[in-house]
Amino acid sequence: MSGEIGERLLFVETLDGLLEALASERQLYVPRAVEAGHLLVPYEGLKGIPFNPIRTINPIKELLVPICEPVASMPAGMVECPDAEPFAVFGLKPCDLKAIDILDKVFLDRDLEDSYYLARRALIMLVCSDCTEPGPSCFCNLLGGKPYPDGHFDLNISKVSGGFVVQAGSRLGKEFMERHKDLFGQAPQQAGAEILQRRKNAEAALGRINSEWPYISRAKELLEQGYEHQVFEDQGKVCVECQACTRVCPTCHCFYLYDAAYKEYFLRMKMWDSCIRRTYAQVAGGENPRRMLSDRLRHRLMHKFVYFPDRYGLQMCVGCGRCIDAETGGVDIRDILDALVKADVNGK
Amino acid sequence: MVTNLYQPIGAKIVRIVDESPAIKTFTVVPERPMPFKTGQFVELALPGVGEAPFTPSSNPSDCGQLEITIMRAGHVTDLLHRSVPGQTVGLRGPLGNGYPVEAFVGRHVYIIGGGVGLAPIRSLLLTLFEDTSRFRSIVCRFGARTPDDLIYKQALFGPWQKVPGVHLRVTVDKADGSWKGHVGVVSSIMHPTDVDPRDAVAVVCGPPIMMKFVTVKLLDFGFRPADIYLSMEKNMSCGVGKCGHCMIGSYYVCTDGPVFTYEQLRKYPNIWG
Repeated sequence: MSGEIGERLLFVETLDGLLEALASERQLYVPRAVEAGHLLVPYEGLKGIPFNPIRTINPIKELLVPICEPVASMPAGMVECPDAEPFAVFGLKPCDLKAIDILDKVFLDRDLEDSYYLARRALIMLVCSDCTEPGPSCFCNLLGGKPYPDGHFDLNISKVSGGFVVQAGSRLGKEFMERHKDLFGQAPQQAGAEILQRRKNAEAALGRINSEWPYISRAKELLEQGYEHQVFEDQGKVCVECQACTRVCPTCHCFYLYDAAYKEYFLRMKMWDSCIRRTYAQVAGGENPRRMLSDRLRHRLMHKFVYFPDRYGLQMCVGCGRCIDAETGGVDIRDILDALVKADVNGK
Repeated sequence: MVTNLYQPIGAKIVRIVDESPAIKTFTVVPERPMPFKTGQFVELALPGVGEAPFTPSSNPSDCGQLEITIMRAGHVTDLLHRSVPGQTVGLRGPLGNGYPVEAFVGRHVYIIGGGVGLAPIRSLLLTLFEDTSRFRSIVCRFGARTPDDLIYKQALFGPWQKVPGVHLRVTVDKADGSWKGHVGVVSSIMHPTDVDPRDAVAVVCGPPIMMKFVTVKLLDFGFRPADIYLSMEKNMSCGVGKCGHCMIGSYYVCTDGPVFTYEQLRKYPNIWG
């Protein structure tokens, strides 16, 4: 589909039937409105499920790499690969789809596939939708992103007057729509043009939101050149090490393994970790390559914009802005990149 | 069926040798053979406590049992030091790349080790000793803090001295009354005439500060960065290039290392941290 708008568009007036159809086939996760935005939660019935205008507060990685789970045992055989059933996530946004691409690179890498990730990844159905009202922290546009998806979804939903246009982007999506063809009617004639217009509007809104910040086309080069820039020390002074940025980031994937002892057996647990944590890189002998907070803040950005692209050929930031919203101390990734762009322009 | 990367196999500790007050060598027999290349590492788990990465110190040709030399340096190693023969541990691996021994063939192999860094080197030496004629020479410069801290003493002052083609010198930073040998840090027994750097590779393993100064010295001697092999110590947790702990720049020490050439690492600041 690649985000193209075809002639024959399928349409629903409300999302109820679609949600019920999804829930009848799979475990379903949906957005729930809360004060700060929308949270991705398990589906418990139709009442009050909103169409989220932008990404949810919590990242999709929670459903692919749980915060903490047992991954091995001694003796062996006490934990099985996830007993997950097929599941669908409604309310994903283009930045979430990009984040999944990034997680795929790590957890489905070469001969070292993470069987837990693989199992869940094979079972997920991705129901995306166009962003309708980009939020104040959204900055996907600065990194070349769009508020509508470019493929990589099973279904995508575009809001139009009087309802929603639903597109399939994969065999899984097509087969679902085929099975539930009674749900869908023909979209109004102007729907295609309206989608394009709404997408343009969302892009324009993103442009306005981020008008103070420059387009970051050369983040890798900027960070490599600006490795010693003062901005890291400055941001280190406002960061309170709450690690919220790494928790809510849909692409941060660091974890650590620890053992839990039970009477008859031991479990190896895999739990999210954060490179902002002081002892994250410390070795048993006490050496720590990133003792200073400013070093750790810089490492996080270097990982996203330099090291990950070196290794996998794509940036590890999707511009979702969750880290900006969750930030306790006031660190804004856009400010850091902005300082580096300015230093570059001024030849500092 | 994809293998579970995080599942260890069981192994039994059959022998424990005291090497120094803080270092012991554990012989473990895995429930099935674990073939490894010299320089690769394993994650050794004390069930219920945790696991930590170690490079076996034994000859890879004996994959039915592994010898693992461990310094007491943290929670897991402290408890490992209190374990007894017969105890069950977990093993994951082998992991990482290991020493590219074939690239050493026909050249001088200049090996500099310090402290518990002699552990991976012992495995390498036992591999090289299988046919020393393949190498122009094997020149070793080893150091420890004190004579008490020096490990593998019996081999160092006995059989290894007699291996044809091997030139081995040992130093300690601080001597005691019994020590008759050289006193000084390991770089003090490195000499520009030890080997011809144009025709040699260097292998360095030891504490970060020692590796830093030895690397500087090797560069002074005229070694090319691509001929200096460094065994990097990082806190490898997953061992399979995912958890992020052991990153040096774009590299994961656990999958791209633990053996790197200085050429690979030199563009990254603070690699010795």
